[in-house]
Amino acid sequence: MTARAVARWQAAAPYAVGLVAALGVLAVLVAALGGDAPAAVGSLVRASLGSAAGFGQTLNKTAPLLFGSVAVILGLRAGAFNIGVDGQIYAGAVAATGVAFLAAGLPKLLAVPAVLVAGAAGGALLGAVPGLLRARAGVSEIFVTVMLNFIALFFVEYLSTGPWNDPMAGEAITRAVPPSTTLPLLGARVGAHAGVLLALAAALAVWWLLYRTVFGYEVRAVGDNPTAARLGGIPVGRTVALALVASGALAGLAGAVEVSGFHYRLILGLSPGYGVMSILIAVLSRRHPLVAIVASLGFAALVVGTDSLQRSVGLPASAVFVVQAAVLLVLLASEGLRRAP
Amino acid sequence: MSWELLLDPSLVRLAVSMAVPLALASAGELLMERAGLLNVAIEGIVTLAAAGAFLGAFASGSAGVGLVVGAAAGAAVSRLLAHYAVAWRRDQVTVGLTLYVLCVGLASLLYRMVVGVRLTPPRVETLPPVPLPWLGDLPLVGDILFRQHALVYAAAAVVGALHGFLFHTSLGLRLRAAGENPVAADTVGVDVFGLRAWAALAGGALVGLAGAALPFTLTGTFTEGIAGGRGWIALMLVIFGRWTPLGAAAGALLFAYVEAFQFKLALLSKAVPPQFLQMLPYAFAILVLVRAYRGAEAPEALGKPYDREART
Repeated sequence: MTARAVARWQAAAPYAVGLVAALGVLAVLVAALGGDAPAAVGSLVRASLGSAAGFGQTLNKTAPLLFGSVAVILGLRAGAFNIGVDGQIYAGAVAATGVAFLAAGLPKLLAVPAVLVAGAAGGALLGAVPGLLRARAGVSEIFVTVMLNFIALFFVEYLSTGPWNDPMAGEAITRAVPPSTTLPLLGARVGAHAGVLLALAAALAVWWLLYRTVFGYEVRAVGDNPTAARLGGIPVGRTVALALVASGALAGLAGAVEVSGFHYRLILGLSPGYGVMSILIAVLSRRHPLVAIVASLGFAALVVGTDSLQRSVGLPASAVFVVQAAVLLVLLASEGLRRAP
Repeated sequence: MSWELLLDPSLVRLAVSMAVPLALASAGELLMERAGLLNVAIEGIVTLAAAGAFLGAFASGSAGVGLVVGAAAGAAVSRLLAHYAVAWRRDQVTVGLTLYVLCVGLASLLYRMVVGVRLTPPRVETLPPVPLPWLGDLPLVGDILFRQHALVYAAAAVVGALHGFLFHTSLGLRLRAAGENPVAADTVGVDVFGLRAWAALAGGALVGLAGAALPFTLTGTFTEGIAGGRGWIALMLVIFGRWTPLGAAAGALLFAYVEAFQFKLALLSKAVPPQFLQMLPYAFAILVLVRAYRGAEAPEALGKPYDREART
């Protein structure tokens, strides 16, 4: 093997360790609940990747996770932690739902793009707040994005139980959006909607933005060394703010896709923690948008798989957070051990 | 709106009680930050400790056991964070966010494993008020401050003790030095690594105690969203208080007042949808942040791993 191939294997090794850790933690949790661990791991893989319908569900979960993780990556590359992906997803979903209600009479070819643009705009608006506050007042974006998550969530609760509520559904669910505003399915048997293709395009676009444009160069320069970037004449504050706005727009698209591709309405539980998962994926992918495609697919399979175990062995939904965080902790530990004296 | 409503004794009394988790969590965070450790996992730790405390009390029937479990959970997770940050020199925000996710997941996982799915969630006894002798009989002030549950007094004692420790003992001085300039501190024989590890244990225990206070003083139950951003707000209060225990505690009272006020308003007014009132503390937090960041100076080495052999 050449030195380069060896280096490549060494870079991949932690991911193998992470995968083993994920399955190990899962097996322990299932065994603790009194289930058959090897059978559960088998059924997890079957449910998420082994059938056309299961794979379709995995693709549907990949869409918001990929949008979310490239959103986090874009922020991280500019040196900003966007913890507000969940809030931006909700803001995007609110704007998308609102525009979908208004666009009832439009042909699909106009209505769907309008809904997507609205989603991006809603997310961008929520991303602009931490962006401006960081650029103008030096306020940490971590706090602002977290607080906006709560505010966005309460706003969705208001809309879904109040003015947009579907009285037939009763719960925190809005009326369905018009069929002319929904994303097409990729194939009836798979049950996957076109959102995953949009997310794929977004990941490629972020890669292109980061590595092939002047703005992307400035983003990376600011993230790597803000002092050097400033001395080099890059407007640091403006670059970080714009990166956060773009990051919010990407997360907002996830919200729009969830509304127009999957739920066909705005619901309070729209994001079962996509925001925090996106952060984990971004770190796991070492802030690379193309690696995030694979990592998002893996996390989505894990979500769909544990969902099926929820029905068969009673594994709670929260188990997926434990498994995902454990993967990252193992990875961080293996990095730490390698570099420790 | 009249002034009587804003200064209603029952409102202020509630605010004092609600300040306890914020004050304890910000005191714990502050202790860690002064030693140079940034604990971004705090919201998760508060949630996990609340679950641990609830389950401890649920299983044993004793609130004391619950408080110990909560503090131990906080200490353990924070110590793990310190190990990643100090021994393995990993990025503290990354590790902190990962541990945050782990704790939130673990909290509801443990709850489900122990309690299972029930129609009515089980409850634990909330702490009874303990009137202090003589002080409790004072008019007005006695009712607001000295007829509270035991954790109010404990939190006040913790804040006072932390102030004394940080600014009036030599160990406190060394701890602050480890957070300001670990190279210089190490040179004169301060055990930077050891101090950071101990700060994580003690600070984490305080954060855990804050989480434990939630089921025992506010809800009587455990729910997934029990922390409700209090961990993040505590993190913010450290900045608000300029890294001083008294300043952070004052901030805790201010936020608890806004929180209690929102409760009160929701009871009084039906014109505004409750969700908008619930947004209030978080919107207030953003406004306060802008002010708090003006001229804020964090400990110099906060969040930076200390590498003895690195060239500076």
